[in-house]
Amino acid sequence: MTRFMMVLAAAAWGSTATAQTDRLITLPEPESPFIAFNIWVQVGSQNDPEGKEGLASLTANLLSDGSTTTLDYQTILARLYPMAAGYGANVDKEMTVFTGRVHRDNLDEYYGLFRDALLHPAFREEDFNRVKTQTLAFLERSRRYSRDEELSKDVLFWAAYRGTRYQHPSEGYVESVRDITLDDVRAFYTKHYLRNGLVVAVGGGYPTGFPAKVRGEFDALPQGAVARVPAPEPAMPDGIKVIIVEKPADAAPISIGAPTPVLRGGPDYWAMVAAASWFGEHRNSFSRLYQVIREARGMNYGDYAYIEAFPRGYTTQQPPVNIARRSHLFEIWIRPISRTSPTDLHDRTLFATRAALREFNALVRNGMTADAVEATKRFLHNYSVKYGSTISRRLAYAVDDAFYRLPAPGYLASLRPGIGALDRQQVNAAIGRQLQTDNLWLVFVTSDAEGLKQKLLSGAPTPITYAGEKPASLLAEDIEIAAYPIPVDASDITIIPVDEIFERR
Amino acid sequence: MKILATIAALCLVGGTAATQQRERVFPFEYQTVRLDNGFTAYLIKAGAPGQIAYYSIVRTGSRDEVEEGKSGFAHFFEHMMFRGTEKYPNYDAITSAMGADRNGFTSSDMTVYYLVTASEYLEQLIDLEADRFQNLRYSEPDFRTEAGAVLGEKMQSIMSPFNYLYERLSELAFDKHTYRHTTIGFERDVRAMPEGYEYSKSFYRRFYRPENVVLVLVGDFDHAEAERLLRAHYGSWQPGYVTPDIPVEPPQQGERRETITYPGRTLPTLTLNYKAPAWSATDRSAVALEVLGDLAFGSTSPLYQQLVIDERIVQGLGGFFELQRDPALATVYAAVLEEANVPRVEQLIAETIAAAKTQLPDAQRLADTKRARRYGFLMGLETAGSVASATISFVVNTGGIEAIDDYYTTLEALTPEDIRDAARRYLMNEAKTVMTMMQATGGDQ
Repeated sequence: MTRFMMVLAAAAWGSTATAQTDRLITLPEPESPFIAFNIWVQVGSQNDPEGKEGLASLTANLLSDGSTTTLDYQTILARLYPMAAGYGANVDKEMTVFTGRVHRDNLDEYYGLFRDALLHPAFREEDFNRVKTQTLAFLERSRRYSRDEELSKDVLFWAAYRGTRYQHPSEGYVESVRDITLDDVRAFYTKHYLRNGLVVAVGGGYPTGFPAKVRGEFDALPQGAVARVPAPEPAMPDGIKVIIVEKPADAAPISIGAPTPVLRGGPDYWAMVAAASWFGEHRNSFSRLYQVIREARGMNYGDYAYIEAFPRGYTTQQPPVNIARRSHLFEIWIRPISRTSPTDLHDRTLFATRAALREFNALVRNGMTADAVEATKRFLHNYSVKYGSTISRRLAYAVDDAFYRLPAPGYLASLRPGIGALDRQQVNAAIGRQLQTDNLWLVFVTSDAEGLKQKLLSGAPTPITYAGEKPASLLAEDIEIAAYPIPVDASDITIIPVDEIFERR
Repeated sequence: MKILATIAALCLVGGTAATQQRERVFPFEYQTVRLDNGFTAYLIKAGAPGQIAYYSIVRTGSRDEVEEGKSGFAHFFEHMMFRGTEKYPNYDAITSAMGADRNGFTSSDMTVYYLVTASEYLEQLIDLEADRFQNLRYSEPDFRTEAGAVLGEKMQSIMSPFNYLYERLSELAFDKHTYRHTTIGFERDVRAMPEGYEYSKSFYRRFYRPENVVLVLVGDFDHAEAERLLRAHYGSWQPGYVTPDIPVEPPQQGERRETITYPGRTLPTLTLNYKAPAWSATDRSAVALEVLGDLAFGSTSPLYQQLVIDERIVQGLGGFFELQRDPALATVYAAVLEEANVPRVEQLIAETIAAAKTQLPDAQRLADTKRARRYGFLMGLETAGSVASATISFVVNTGGIEAIDDYYTTLEALTPEDIRDAARRYLMNEAKTVMTMMQATGGDQ
C-alpha cells in the first residue's frame, strides 16, 4: 500500500541538540478530507511528584476539558458540536498526547479551539473541580468495580514496577488525587509544557504551509525541555509472586507477567512480535492460548499475550498507540474464568492458570515450530495493515517512532519486511534470550481470596469438567494441566481487599 | 485514498440544500446486485488501495428470540458461525492465513460478520462466506464448548454498571416485546445454552436465508467480477426465511418506577425512559425525536450547562433517543454525584421535557444539530471498514442503503415545530419508566 509518509524530523527524546524546526512531524495525504493532530508533550505520569500521583493526567484532562482565556468551556463545546469534532488527551508513563481529527471544511475554526486549549488554558477553579471529581469517581468506583479484567492488569503493572517511576497508574491514587490543587496543576503546566519538549504532528489533507504555521504558534511556549527521568529498572520477581484482589465475583480474570528488555528498534524486536502473535495475538483466534483455553475447552472469552503494554484491550482489537515506554512487561491476559457450579470457581481459575503457564513453559523450552513461524509470518503480513488504518493512527505511530528513535521508514513500513525476514532459528533464539518462566507475577481478582490461596498452597490438582463430550487426547492432557506445578509458599501470596486497591501509595 | 476525495465536495452540497431537494450525503459510487432468491449485495468503491471490507449483515438479533428461555441465542449463534463447514472445516485457519481482520457482533436488531483484508482474496472470501451461510456444520460437543465461551463473555462485563442497569430496565419497561431482554441474554439462559443444540439448528434454518442477509462489500475491487462471483456462489442459496412472530408491545398505561441496587460502587444513576416509535428515514416526527435527544440533553444543552458545568452535581447527562427497528426506548440518563440530588435532577429533567412540548427550540441550535449529525456521518467514512459500518443501521432498518440519503433529507427539512410536536407525541408521562440505580453502600462518598 502506498503511504505518503514523510517524517520531516522528530525530536530525539530529551535531546537538547534538536533544532527548533525539527520538532514537527508531517504525514501529508493531500486527497484525504480529514486532518489529524497529535501534539506530543514529553511528560508523563513518571513526572508526577511524590504524593501527587495523577497530576500529569489531571493537568492534561483539564486542558482538554476546560476553558481557555478567551472562551468558556461550554462555548467551546458549542463551537465543536456542529463540526462533530473534538479533542482529547491521553497520559501514559512517559508521554502525553493531545489528539483530534476534523473534516477539512472546518479546519480553521477547529484548529483555533484546539490550539488555545493547549496554549491558553484558563485554569478555572470550576473546571478543575469538575475534572477532579470525575477522576475521583473513576478511581473510587469504576476502576475497582466495573471491569475486573482491567483491574487485574493495572495491579500487575503496579506490582511489577514497584519502587520505580512507573509504579502508579497514570490516573493516580485516590488519596494523591484528593491532595492535588489547582496551583499544583498550574505549576505542573508551567514546568513541563515547554517549547523544546513538545512535538507537533499533523497529517491528512491540510493546506500547504499549515504544519509550519502550527509549529510556529506552539513555539510561543517558554523555551526549555523537561528534565529526563531515568528509565525504570523493574526488579525481576524472585520466583512466582501472587497477588489476589478480593471482591465479590462469579468469575476471575488472571494477569501474568514479568519485565522484559524487548524494545522497538532492538535486535530481537520483530522476532518477539512474531512469538507474541503466535502465542497470544490480541483478541484473535490465531492465538495459541486462545486455542487451548477458549477454543478447545470453552473456559472463557479469550486468552492473549503481549510484549508491549496494551491497556483497555477490551475496547479495541487494534494495538494501542502512544503508549511508548522504555520498559515493558511480557504479559499474559486470561479473560474472566466463570464458575460453572457454586463451588468450582477456584479449580477452574487455577486450571486456566496452569494451562497458560504450561503453554508458556513449552514456548520458552521448545520455541516455535517451523510451521508455526511460517503461519505467523503469513498471518501478520496482511493483518498488520490494519494497525495503520486511519490517518490518526498513522500519525500516532509516527510519534511513537520518534519516541523510540526508529529510523525511517518507521514502524508501520518496517513491519512487513521485519517479519518477512524472520526464520525459525532467529525467533527461537530471541525467545530464549527474552523470556523466562521461573520468575513471574500472578494476579487474580476473585472472591474468597483465602480459599484460592489455600488451594494454591496445597499444590493439589484442580481438574475441571465439561458440559459435553471431549476427545480422549484432550482429557489426557487435562490431567497434566490440572497438576501442573505452581511453586509458591505462603510468603509469596498477598491478598488485597478491593477497596484498598490504589487508595494510596 | 483517491476515492475519499469526493466527500468534501458533496458535503458542501448537503449543507446548502433546500428542504425539498433530496440530500446527497452518501458520497461514494455504488452498485446494487439483487439475486432472484432475495439476496442483496452493495458494491461500494471506497477506502485504501488494495483493501476490501466484507460485511454480511443478518437482519436478525436478540429481537428475534421469541421463545422463552432463549435470550442471548442470536449472539450465541454468531459464535457458531466460526465453527466451519464440510468444505472448509477450519474457518479460523483459512482466514488467519489471509491475515484477515475478522469478527462478528450482535445487537437487538442484527448480527454482523465482517472481514477486512487484501483485495487479492476477494474470490476466496466470496466462496468461503457463501459456503458458511449455506452449509454451516458443527457437532454437539463443539456447540457445548462454545457455550462456555459465551458464558465467559457474559461474565467479563457483568459488573459493568451500564449492563447491570440496562438488563433490569429492559425487563421493567417492556411486557411483551423481545426488547425485554438484552442481546447477551439473562445469565440463567446463558448457563442453559449447552442444552440448545437442536434449537440452534432451527435458528440457522429460519434466519440464515438469502432474503434476510445483505452484503456490503466496500473497497478496491472489480465490480463486474465481484458480481459474477456473487451470482455464482450465492445464487443457489435456497430462500425460506421465516418471519418471527415478535409480540407487539401494548401501549403502556401509567408510569413505572423502580430503584435497584448495584452490588459494587457506582454513581447514583437516574434514567427516564419513554416509549419511542420505530426508526424511519422519512417520518419527520421519528427523526425529530432523535434530534430532540441531542437538543434537550446533549453537551450543548442548557440543562447540561446547568447540571454538569455550572452546578456540577451531575457527571454525565445525555439523551439517547436513537431509534430502532421496532419501537424501543428514548432514554434520558444522568449520573448524579450525590444521592440526595437525584430527586432534584429528575425534576429538572421533567421540566425540560415539559418545556420541549410547549416551546420551540432555538433555530441556531437546531441548525447546529443537523450539521453535527451530517458531519458525524461523514467523519466516519475513512476506511473501507468504517464505510461499511456506517451503512449497517440503514441496512438493518430498511434492507438497503438507499435510506441514507432519505434520512438526511428528512433531517435537513426539520423545523422547530417538528421538534416540539415530536416531544408532545412521544414523551408521554403515562408511558414513562423511571429506573434509578444506587450502590449498596449508599451513593455519597
